[in-house]
Amino acid sequence: MKFSLSWLNDHLDIENYDIQEIASKLTNIGLEVESILNRAEELKPFTVGKVLEASKHPNADRLKVCKVETKDGNFQVVCGAPNAKTGMLGVFAPENSFIPGTKLKLKKSKIRGVESCGMLVSEREMGISDEHDGIIEIDKKYKIGDSFAEIYGLNDPVIEINITPNRSDCLSVRGIARDLQAAEIGKLKNIEISEVKGSFESPIKWLREFDDKNEKLCPGVSGRLFKNVNNVESPEWLKKRLTAVGLRPISALVDITNYVTFDLGRPLHVYDADKITGNLKMRLAKKGEKCKTLDEKEYTLESDMVVIADEKKLHGIGGVMGGLESGCSMETKNVFLEVALFDPISITKTGRKLNLQSDARYRFERGVDPTSIDWGVNKATQMILDLCGGEVSEITKDQIPIRPKKILEFDYQKTKNIGGIEIPIEKQKSILQKLGFETNSSKINIPHFRPDIDGEADIVEEIIRINGYDKIQPKSISKDSNLTKDVLNESLKSFYKSKRLLASRGYLETITWSFYSNYFSEISDLKEGVKIKNPISVDLDTMRSSLFPNLLNCINTNINHLYNNAKLFEVGPQYLGTNDNDQIMMATGILYGPRNSQNWNEDKRLSDVFDVKSDVYFILDQLNVPIENIVYEKVNSNFFHPGKSSQLNIGKNVLARFGEIHPFILQKFEIKTNVNGFEIYLDNLNLFQSKKLSTKNAFDNNALQLVERDFAFLFSKDIQITEIIKTIRKIDKNVIKKVTIFDVYEGKNIPNNMKSIAFKVILQPIEKTFTDQEIENISSKIIDLISKTFEGKLRQ
Amino acid sequence: MSSKLDKDDIILKIDKVSNISDLESLRLEYLGKKGLLTLEMKSLSNLSVEEKKTKGQILNSFKVFLDEAIKKKKNIFENNIVNEKIKNEKIDVTLPPRNYNTGKIHPISQSIYKVIDIFSSMGFSVESGPDIETDFNNFTALNIPSHHPAREMQDTFYIDNKSDNEDKVLRTHTSPVQVRKMLESKPPIRIIVPGRTYRSDSDATHSPMFHQVEGLLIDENSNMSHLKGCLIDFLKDFFEIDNLQYRFRPSYFPFTEPSAEMDVAYSKKNDVLKIGEGDKWLEILGCGMVNPRVLENCNIDTNKYQGFAFGMGIERLSMLKYGITDMRGFFDNDFRWLNHYGFNPLDLTTPSGI
Repeated sequence: MKFSLSWLNDHLDIENYDIQEIASKLTNIGLEVESILNRAEELKPFTVGKVLEASKHPNADRLKVCKVETKDGNFQVVCGAPNAKTGMLGVFAPENSFIPGTKLKLKKSKIRGVESCGMLVSEREMGISDEHDGIIEIDKKYKIGDSFAEIYGLNDPVIEINITPNRSDCLSVRGIARDLQAAEIGKLKNIEISEVKGSFESPIKWLREFDDKNEKLCPGVSGRLFKNVNNVESPEWLKKRLTAVGLRPISALVDITNYVTFDLGRPLHVYDADKITGNLKMRLAKKGEKCKTLDEKEYTLESDMVVIADEKKLHGIGGVMGGLESGCSMETKNVFLEVALFDPISITKTGRKLNLQSDARYRFERGVDPTSIDWGVNKATQMILDLCGGEVSEITKDQIPIRPKKILEFDYQKTKNIGGIEIPIEKQKSILQKLGFETNSSKINIPHFRPDIDGEADIVEEIIRINGYDKIQPKSISKDSNLTKDVLNESLKSFYKSKRLLASRGYLETITWSFYSNYFSEISDLKEGVKIKNPISVDLDTMRSSLFPNLLNCINTNINHLYNNAKLFEVGPQYLGTNDNDQIMMATGILYGPRNSQNWNEDKRLSDVFDVKSDVYFILDQLNVPIENIVYEKVNSNFFHPGKSSQLNIGKNVLARFGEIHPFILQKFEIKTNVNGFEIYLDNLNLFQSKKLSTKNAFDNNALQLVERDFAFLFSKDIQITEIIKTIRKIDKNVIKKVTIFDVYEGKNIPNNMKSIAFKVILQPIEKTFTDQEIENISSKIIDLISKTFEGKLRQ
Repeated sequence: MSSKLDKDDIILKIDKVSNISDLESLRLEYLGKKGLLTLEMKSLSNLSVEEKKTKGQILNSFKVFLDEAIKKKKNIFENNIVNEKIKNEKIDVTLPPRNYNTGKIHPISQSIYKVIDIFSSMGFSVESGPDIETDFNNFTALNIPSHHPAREMQDTFYIDNKSDNEDKVLRTHTSPVQVRKMLESKPPIRIIVPGRTYRSDSDATHSPMFHQVEGLLIDENSNMSHLKGCLIDFLKDFFEIDNLQYRFRPSYFPFTEPSAEMDVAYSKKNDVLKIGEGDKWLEILGCGMVNPRVLENCNIDTNKYQGFAFGMGIERLSMLKYGITDMRGFFDNDFRWLNHYGFNPLDLTTPSGI
């Protein structure tokens, strides 16, 4: 919402207030000032100049050399405008002035050999319109040296405020003045809207045609006919007002409707009565009916939209925009006025469906004062008669009774209880009264122009915002002893901890978008992802069902920055469906490239599955997962190489998957380097995150000598080593402390279908040192078991 | 006594020895099975008890002397060998170490850690909720009916929901978690909700995905004073500015009444934004007393309970705190950017930093 200071002055006595003071008060009461445009200063150098002589440029056909008389003397100006001619008045920009439209400083120059000192400017160069076909022509009534800013009404500062959707009353200069006055800025001026009696019956009647159910879509419409008017250009004061707030003056009749919309928040419409056949009717559109409106576009309507129609055709979309054909032109002689009320919800729906915005819609969907159906007619009558003359008919009106004012019970103590500030009741009442509320008893009558006031909390807000939020004393809050919960629940603990853990293993944390191209869900395990109905672009139309695609997408761009190897991860959700439990929280990471590519040392191998595996185990271990209970399962996923990947389970819970990224996937992403990855199912780690007692079992300081024994077996190639380790440990978990694999070999000297595995077993005596016989017994147990269970052949 | 067992003579002999094997030969000459000293020792058995005692003592002291002298000389030889070896083992330790990857925490995460630390000191716990929300939780329960103009304030992504007929959206704010929390538990409530949020907007200052933290406090008597106190304390701590200049402006959110926006002062010099002081204001968060209609929608007795809520953008907080100038960098995943603005994994946000 924009308004100029002089416009505000029509409603509020603000002579003694500085613009900054007004602006800061507006912001403090909730009418946030977005900008103050005061062009007087920047436009000061530009004044009226007279072209004494415009002659042809000696070296250029299209240019003219003008001798311009200004308040500071005569200057020679080279000008390319076709309308530059001897005797005209224009706007002169002197040397070194800053041209607002081009944002350039004007320098003295030679154009095709002729010196040019200053310039005659166009509207575009002055930054007031896009007009650049010629230079500005100033009316002969002005004299040389007159200020350009003053002539164009640009010396009146314009304030733009951001009106929140609840404050429809402040979509008018009057409403803003009322709020300021309540906050003790200026005195509200009375405005007189007198009634004018009609001298004849209106030949066109306003009718409403709705069934009972839909009656409230248009609770009322009123208007009258004006005969023999003379539609003229609006007077300067009106044109300046409209230009200042960014509206283009068109003709007096149209300008009046815009003016009343901004001045009092009352949208109006005027029809050329000669284009109307019979009466005008508010009704619901028939599905598929078409209406061409003032924006020169044709809209196809639906059966829940209110339209204005005569016997033959549509003349507008109710509360949104009038029809093109019956719009007023300079030739209009007879005018029919519309002052209507509409249901905000219906207007919102219609506007949204048609994607049609207008000043009228903006106000109707936020709520227009229903009493304006009467004073709106009077105000319009006054202005039309003043500016266009003519004769006026009696009022024609069709309306259901205006709802009575809302009455709310209010406890003035609430201001303290909710607002946290003690304000004397008298002061509270005075604020409310200035805002138009009636406060006779404990009941408060809400003015019709405040549809947003709905309960005690709203009234508290009115009081404390006008009193000033800055007067509320801040109070620190301390912990509430009734709340003794943990800061993080189990699932959030692993969510937040996993990030630090992964970063400590050298992984860079990325955050990528939750949506990606549907293509990625097709190549992922899900096939069909959750779709967004209105994506910002087609390649962001599907909720991700894996974090891998976004991570893989990072590789090539960063390789271009010579990150030939890197570790990266994201901790975030993936979506397998639209239900709450379809969103699962993942810690997914990838590792690519050689391990030591840029370094001098000898270990130049590629990173591999066991690099990511050690990272996954580190994270799981740190998140309290009992590592020794993990079971390996086959991964069923398009993302992993089937022979170089595994899934880690405890019971039915999938904890993680890791492995080499499938070569087909790398092809699809055009990745040339090797990539290994993992994904940890954080939700499945919750059960390990519950708070542990900090007290631990006493430390068992066993001083007895540990014994090591090494074994080497030949196994079939398919054997899974983890099973061997588990089986050996099961013999006696107290005694067999640890089994480590120190060599795995296949190839020369070993049968083709076999591999050799060497492992070390560490034995811990419990009560006394082992005898040779005891060690021998354990060894043969191990050998027996391995030979039988896994068909292993002991290598001697 | 044989002159061969003369101490001075032995010292002379040991001095002359030039390598470790000659020293061993010398040792055997005296202490070997047929060594001079060994033979002398054996001959003791033929002597009388008295003589045995006297000569035995002499022989013994000579043996101790001889052992000591040889050991000393041997030590010298061994040290020389190690010294010689060391001389040939020089490497250039200024060569770079084996590669190690330096992990970084994303600035968004780092900000969230800090936000959690501060609010937990005021008794708030952390909650979360799904990104794909019901229309009811995201809008209706929060007093934003479908026709409400406030819905136009938030450009919503709508989800193609195949599993049931409920309308689902990508949550436009983290406020629906308030609704979930209030529906499933009883006051008092103190929660903050950091998380992903979505709006269909994309330009230099808007990203279709961003992060918010929502706060909710419900009890019997917290009011606007406490709301102000809580948020001022938070921002002072977050930005580490004691003398933070701020203002609260009346505003409008359907889910709070009264509503406010909080601005902090800033100044700009040479394109560097300095937060906390200055003649310009920057909007930093929205807040207000929870609208009684929202409490009613969540089955909370409005005669007994009231409270406040607030919400703020993590990207904006991060940009201001860390001096990040462009919103788009957060999600570009340019490793140079991540390394530049990222944090070391143990840059902890707790007061002690440990």
